[in-house]
Amino acid sequence: MICPRCDSKNANLLVPSPVGNEWEMYLCNDCNFTWRSTEPENIRNPKMYDPKFKLTKKKISMMMVNPPIATSNK
Amino acid sequence: MNYYSLRDFLDVLEQNGQLVRITDPVMPEPDISAAAQAAINCGHYAPALLFEKVKGYVNRLVMNVHGSWANHALMLGLPTDTTIKDQFFELDKRWPGEVIKPIWLKDAPCKEIKITNNINLFELLPLYRSNKHDGGCYLSKACVITRDPEEPDNFTKQNVGTYRIQVTGKDRLNIQPLVFHDLAIHFRKAEERNEPLPVAIAIGNEPIITFMSSTPLEYDESEYEYAGALRSEPYQLIKAETSDLDLPAGAEVIIEGEILPCKRSIEGPYGEYTGGYSGTRLQPEIKIHAITHRANPIFENLYLGIPWTEVDYLIALNTSLPVYRQLKASMPEVAAVNAIYEHGAVEIVSTKCRMGGYGKAVAMRLLSTPHGMPYAKIVIVVDESVDPFNINQVMWALATRVNPAKHISIINNCPGMPLDPSSDPPGMSSKVIIDATTPVPPEPINEDAHTIELPENTDEWMQKIKKLMRKKEDIL
Repeated sequence: MICPRCDSKNANLLVPSPVGNEWEMYLCNDCNFTWRSTEPENIRNPKMYDPKFKLTKKKISMMMVNPPIATSNK
Repeated sequence: MNYYSLRDFLDVLEQNGQLVRITDPVMPEPDISAAAQAAINCGHYAPALLFEKVKGYVNRLVMNVHGSWANHALMLGLPTDTTIKDQFFELDKRWPGEVIKPIWLKDAPCKEIKITNNINLFELLPLYRSNKHDGGCYLSKACVITRDPEEPDNFTKQNVGTYRIQVTGKDRLNIQPLVFHDLAIHFRKAEERNEPLPVAIAIGNEPIITFMSSTPLEYDESEYEYAGALRSEPYQLIKAETSDLDLPAGAEVIIEGEILPCKRSIEGPYGEYTGGYSGTRLQPEIKIHAITHRANPIFENLYLGIPWTEVDYLIALNTSLPVYRQLKASMPEVAAVNAIYEHGAVEIVSTKCRMGGYGKAVAMRLLSTPHGMPYAKIVIVVDESVDPFNINQVMWALATRVNPAKHISIINNCPGMPLDPSSDPPGMSSKVIIDATTPVPPEPINEDAHTIELPENTDEWMQKIKKLMRKKEDIL
């Protein structure tokens, strides 16, 4: 399974719908993106995901850390 | 009137025509957000929405509980037609001189069911993507409770705050504590010791604690003690299962866990109160250890979109009141503060002017208050006779009192709000002060500035006309 947002192959089923086989929810273990099987193709399909919101390794490496990691002052 | 649970308040909303039940099954996306946005479009009387059946899920969902001035008035026990200004002054009456200490219950419905193994949030909460390019499903309206790890017995430093929380696993969350938030102070202290920070997340509460949770109180002021004061009785608490945290006893669901030290992972983007998506950031993770809940819990959440949406009501008058009190403490001429726009990014202060330039001095004081320092960007000061909640009056003051060369000041390189898309770099901003007060000596007064008086008996006529209008409605 490929993450529609960051194209990682490290994605898998997170949960099936608790009742009724209505949908499945998936999780990308690299970028934490979750998506549902019933969402539009431009959310589910990596090739159709809006480029403005795609994540690349470069973008991830430059992400702000919030809050900055506090180190011991003792 | 006091409410002891979300369900108490939903009953009152329904009795007043302020709650709509959606009985047809809905899809998590896009139905929930579309309906919530549509409800808000109803204006002053926008209703709460109770979704009885969300496809694939077990439990119910309620949205827009605080999302209109009518619902806001009912939260305060006022008639649904109460004006914003009157709600502001009602809150001012109740805003505590003296806080009220809480009481602890031994049992409460939120402890009916306890889960410590095989935790799966999706079995409990009908989670959904709020806006199309959000990174996932969010808890957007929960009360997040933490203690100061350096003073674990200090009750007033225990914080109850509302933070955006992304669901990133069946038992895992990511949270956003911004550096000026109390939660970030607690977490920094824990992280400096390389210790996890115990956290509880209360979902589906009576409306006052959610309101206080969204209020910018001082670091050592207790949201529970303020909630007690607003309700004129001790607030009811119950202890957490896995920590010493105090929880609102009326909650539908309590999630207990720990914020993990020295660990960040990708969170966001999220459609924010600014009406735009925040970026993706590396933010702390929460590992969930236990959940307790009422039987058949109701998931309460809010929709954030292009303003106004529910959050704008939830952070409106409770943002205005603390700023008003802080200004009034040293500048008693201040008459009212409207900080209801984008969490106080634009603030309008009405004041009597003690001397020439006083309007500008009030604005500078506002820009150094704890909330105003990062959040306020545009400060407009008007005369005490102008209702700062009446935008027509404010525009009149701008149109007729402002000489741009004299009355507009820009201050560069100040603290800003990182989520503000115009903040550059995120977290820094310039500020603008617009002094739209009538000049007083020693500033020269233009003789054309003398204001027309209201015709005598206008107020009496207003009441008379309102009565006549109501009679006509009855006939129709």
